Amino acid sequence: MATGVLMPKAGISVESCIIGTWHKQPGDPVQMGDILFDYETDKATFECESTAVGHLIEIFFQSGDEVPCLTVVCAVGQPGEDVSGLKTGSPPVSEPVPASAPAPVSTPSIVEPSIAETSITAPPAVQAGSGIVGAVSPRARKLAERLRVDLQYVTPTGPRGRVIERDIQTAARTLKTGDGIGGRRQDGFIGGAGAASGVSLAAGAGYTDEKMSPIRKVIAKSMLKSLTEIAQLTHVHSCDATVLLSLRRRFKDSGKGLEGISLNDLVIFAVARTLAAHPDLNAHLVNGDTLRRFNGVHLGMAVDTPRGLLVPTIFNADKMSLLQLSAATKDVADMAKSGSISPDLLQGASFTVSNLGALGVEMFTPVINPPQVAILGVCGLSPKVKEENGKIAVYQSMGLALTYDHRAVDGAPASRFAANLAKNLENIDLLMMSL
Amino acid sequence: MPKSLHISPAELKKTGKITFKDIPVNSYKKTAKQARKDFSDAELVRIYRDITILREFEHMLNQIKTQGVYSGIETQYPGPAHLSLGQEAAAVGQAYLLDKDDFIFGSHRSHSEILAKSLSCIEKLSDKELMEIMENFLGGRILKTLTKIYKHSSVKELAITFIIYGTLTEIFARENGFHMGLGGSMHAFFLPFGVYPNNAIVGGSGPVSIGGALYKKCNNKKGIVVCNIGDGSLGCGPVWEALNFAAMGQFDTLWKDKPGGLPIIFNVFNNGYGMGGQTSGETMAYDMLARLGAGVNAEQMHAERVWGNDPLAVIDAYKRKKAIIKKNGGPVLLDVVTYRHSGHSTSDQNAYRSKEEMDEWFALDPCTVFRNELVEAGVAADGVFDDIWTQTRERMKQICQWASSEEISPYMDLKKDRAAVERIMFSNTKIPVLGKEKPVVLIPKEECSRVKQIAGKERFALKNGKPVSKMKCYNYRDAIFEPILDKCYEDSSLILYGEDVRDWGGAFAVYRGLAEVLPHSRLFNAPISEAAIVGSAVGYGLCEGRAVVELMYCDFIGRAGDEIFNQLSKWQSMSAGILKMPVVLRVSVGSKYGAQHSQDWTALCAHIPGLKICFPATPYEAKGLMQTALNGTDPVVFFESQRLYDMGEQFQEGGVPAEPYELEIGDVNVVRTGKDITILTIGATLYKAVEAAEILKDTFGMEADIINLYSLVPLDYTKIVASVKKTGKLVLASDACARGSFLSDIARNVTELCFDDLDAPPVVVGAKNWITPPFEFDEFFFPQAGWILDAINESIIPLPGHVPVESFTVMEQLRKAKLGV
Repeated sequence: MATGVLMPKAGISVESCIIGTWHKQPGDPVQMGDILFDYETDKATFECESTAVGHLIEIFFQSGDEVPCLTVVCAVGQPGEDVSGLKTGSPPVSEPVPASAPAPVSTPSIVEPSIAETSITAPPAVQAGSGIVGAVSPRARKLAERLRVDLQYVTPTGPRGRVIERDIQTAARTLKTGDGIGGRRQDGFIGGAGAASGVSLAAGAGYTDEKMSPIRKVIAKSMLKSLTEIAQLTHVHSCDATVLLSLRRRFKDSGKGLEGISLNDLVIFAVARTLAAHPDLNAHLVNGDTLRRFNGVHLGMAVDTPRGLLVPTIFNADKMSLLQLSAATKDVADMAKSGSISPDLLQGASFTVSNLGALGVEMFTPVINPPQVAILGVCGLSPKVKEENGKIAVYQSMGLALTYDHRAVDGAPASRFAANLAKNLENIDLLMMSL
Repeated sequence: MPKSLHISPAELKKTGKITFKDIPVNSYKKTAKQARKDFSDAELVRIYRDITILREFEHMLNQIKTQGVYSGIETQYPGPAHLSLGQEAAAVGQAYLLDKDDFIFGSHRSHSEILAKSLSCIEKLSDKELMEIMENFLGGRILKTLTKIYKHSSVKELAITFIIYGTLTEIFARENGFHMGLGGSMHAFFLPFGVYPNNAIVGGSGPVSIGGALYKKCNNKKGIVVCNIGDGSLGCGPVWEALNFAAMGQFDTLWKDKPGGLPIIFNVFNNGYGMGGQTSGETMAYDMLARLGAGVNAEQMHAERVWGNDPLAVIDAYKRKKAIIKKNGGPVLLDVVTYRHSGHSTSDQNAYRSKEEMDEWFALDPCTVFRNELVEAGVAADGVFDDIWTQTRERMKQICQWASSEEISPYMDLKKDRAAVERIMFSNTKIPVLGKEKPVVLIPKEECSRVKQIAGKERFALKNGKPVSKMKCYNYRDAIFEPILDKCYEDSSLILYGEDVRDWGGAFAVYRGLAEVLPHSRLFNAPISEAAIVGSAVGYGLCEGRAVVELMYCDFIGRAGDEIFNQLSKWQSMSAGILKMPVVLRVSVGSKYGAQHSQDWTALCAHIPGLKICFPATPYEAKGLMQTALNGTDPVVFFESQRLYDMGEQFQEGGVPAEPYELEIGDVNVVRTGKDITILTIGATLYKAVEAAEILKDTFGMEADIINLYSLVPLDYTKIVASVKKTGKLVLASDACARGSFLSDIARNVTELCFDDLDAPPVVVGAKNWITPPFEFDEFFFPQAGWILDAINESIIPLPGHVPVESFTVMEQLRKAKLGV
């Protein structure tokens, strides 16, 4: 009796997944739990474990194919078995059917779908993070902490809907190449995700083709949407960075726990404080006709990560002290780079700062991250001269590029914000004391 | 049912009648003047002095309880004071001829008996003996206190003060009390003077004291035993059981080496009332108490009524009764009539008796009457008695001051030493041999047929992978028998009795062959008197004799409720560790015998502090535990199971060792190791758990730890906790009815001890909360292997495809609880 292996449903909103690499080939012996293939959603790459024992008889979909969830992907059974019946291309069952055993006084919590000749079982579906965690045994809770499994993504199989030890173990296995979204948070998994994503090499043409990772695709889609749908333009300002630089030096030398405060932290601080006085820029344009102004400043911060651009959010940045902000900045950046960041922190920003200064960029036009109405690009330092008491003085200047959505904001208010920001940056010491 | 005693139909059919001898009533008629021929004047004066000490002692207690002041000393104590004011002559008369080798047991109203017996012993002992006693008692603590504050004129005076101070501080719950204040008014005693425990349970001393007499008889000890009980206690079943037990026919017919009934005088202080109930005429049927002797045995227990307000009448009776006992003529029943002037307790309003009645008895108060007689007879001038009263009052005042003072007589400091009581709950000593005589046995051990039979048996249940046949397999009953037999040859004090233990070998043949080895004085059939069986073992044990007694079914524990729950359990700790209780109570959990013969009563026993509880489930466990129980000095309730007697050893590699070995009471037996779930069992359910573990393994790929609890109290949780921390899952199973079962206690504790490691709540699988139905329905009542799986599936971890039989759902639990089933 051959068993069909289903494309797992990797989340409530996930309709289909793309098959990555096949780790088993037809004819290979397969044990329960062996990894058959990788599959990707737009957020992460997962491994599909075999739910049956025998040999991989036939593969119904190839690498790169997008397969609807709960569709039979391959058949596992004894060599020579006829598996044509499994190749339906559509899910054999959409609802669990009652257990074939007569239901006694108590009903087992897990009901295995069963079909007359061929049984098809799916690995426990990875629930989308509902934010709701039901009963969890103390032991399971303890193990989840140790394995860093987020309980809201764990499917309970214990009595009365309780998450028990084995559920955590299952989750830790199933989600081990997750991206932190939808389950296990594991340091350094991003490299793994990249390596495991579908790679196909075109032979001997003097170039290589590589399929974009799902995350790359998301970025691509989002950028194009921004540039094609938004009336955005960029104003360029600059500011004298003398005070910023001297303050930064003093922080570095202070030995009072302030050493870690970077130039970027100071800029972020100034942006947060300045934005609070410019609500039109700390806003979303919703449905093209509504301006949603935020009470707090939730700063998105563009972070370069091994798998692409991520923009974690620092919520209520305007309420934080410089030191708190510095810590928060470092925290979210680290999480974004390591991949351990919660999806909650990858959304909800009211304004974004993108700092390419360290990379020697003199000038750039940042692209708005919709539905936000503006984004600030921070450019590198460059020497400039100014007249001071009749003399020419050289100082370090910092370029500020503000892209804004002209549908939502006009040029004057946008410029006022940029000018105020420049002023606040030049007098960052006063700004720090003004609140 | 010995064959040597023939039940002859011809005899039973004969026509005839039962005749009785007259029972003397107040036969002593001598005046004090006539008595001067029998006693010296000094002796007569001393008798009166003793009466004054008894009277003043209780007068003091009465003043303190009712007014909070005695002789200007303001003091109080919250405990009980059951006074025998008015009964002093009876106590002094009783004690007069008794010495330290005679044991008295008493009641809740026994201050006077303690003091009178002690005063009598002080008179009889040499100064050297008295000093030795005082120096050695509780490490000399009381003596050290007195030496600091009291200048004595003589050792005897010191001893008198010592005994009063020790009794009063015991009543006041002070550390200088005879048992550090833990016994109190109703439990005071002083072993060096042969004053054995008094008992707060009415009639409690009935069965206990026959154990003392049994100890005297079986171990050839000097002296007699006096059981002091009140007329109210004659309504108690255990007292009747004791009367019969003491007079059993077999003492004359079968105890060839030690003929005659028990050397005991049942001394009933007949003060007319059981609390407020008037015994004669209201609550009892006997009319005259001494009549009862005629109903017990042909000797009519040598019963007679004695006028207890005359000490000389009581002395006379004791002189005659002691002589009877010396000729192995016991037991004796004395109806010592007297009267208590005070109420049952100090809160008694005397609503049940008239002032006229009380006045008439006041007129016969021995303090006045006996004094007047002595003065009239010219024994001493009246002034001499005034002086005696002055001295007694002075002494009492001084002692009351010392005993009331917290500096001189501190309380046990439980603040500083919170474990002080904890430490005396068990003696925890190992004394393999209590009786140092040469044990009386009839044949060498190796000639015993049972020994030969066991020698031919396989000591493991499997041989070459195949089960050994039942007949050839060393089994559970052999495992209980072996250490007991060994102990018979080792400890001369060991006696064994119970219902049908001798010729029958016990209802379940554990003792088969033992009758060849032991004379009746060491192994005998007891009457169907569970209270007397256990109670006498308590008395035997606290005299430091080792007793193994058996209640055929553990369902009969109810019949010995007080003896197990109040006596066996509590005497070690109530005595502050002075007494030991080397008693093993064997009880068997029934099977196939219906509702009143098949219940596991472990939880009831485990609930009572002071008992060690064992329940072996394998021969290896049974032998090791019995050996430990027999070597120790703590009371052990040894549960056996009728499902197991034929069982061979299936777990212990190499089988049950032939040589003696001990298993620690409190340890557990890990019979199988796994990683996925822990199954904890008590009793025969172990084998169901093994079945369940096999199914878990074969069908569900789960490996179970099985831990059998062979002892319930004490219990070392170490291995249980380690297992649960490993598996995270615990199911507990035993044949006891689930509600209130001991497993529930363990489940609760494990939940607390392993909370963060638990993957599910521990689940108890017990028998239904029903009557035990007929054997045919066992599978519906007792836990089966399937039930264990059901519980796991429902509450711990779903077992795919498992079809439950029993419901462990929440709704079902709630429903059953609501219905009380």
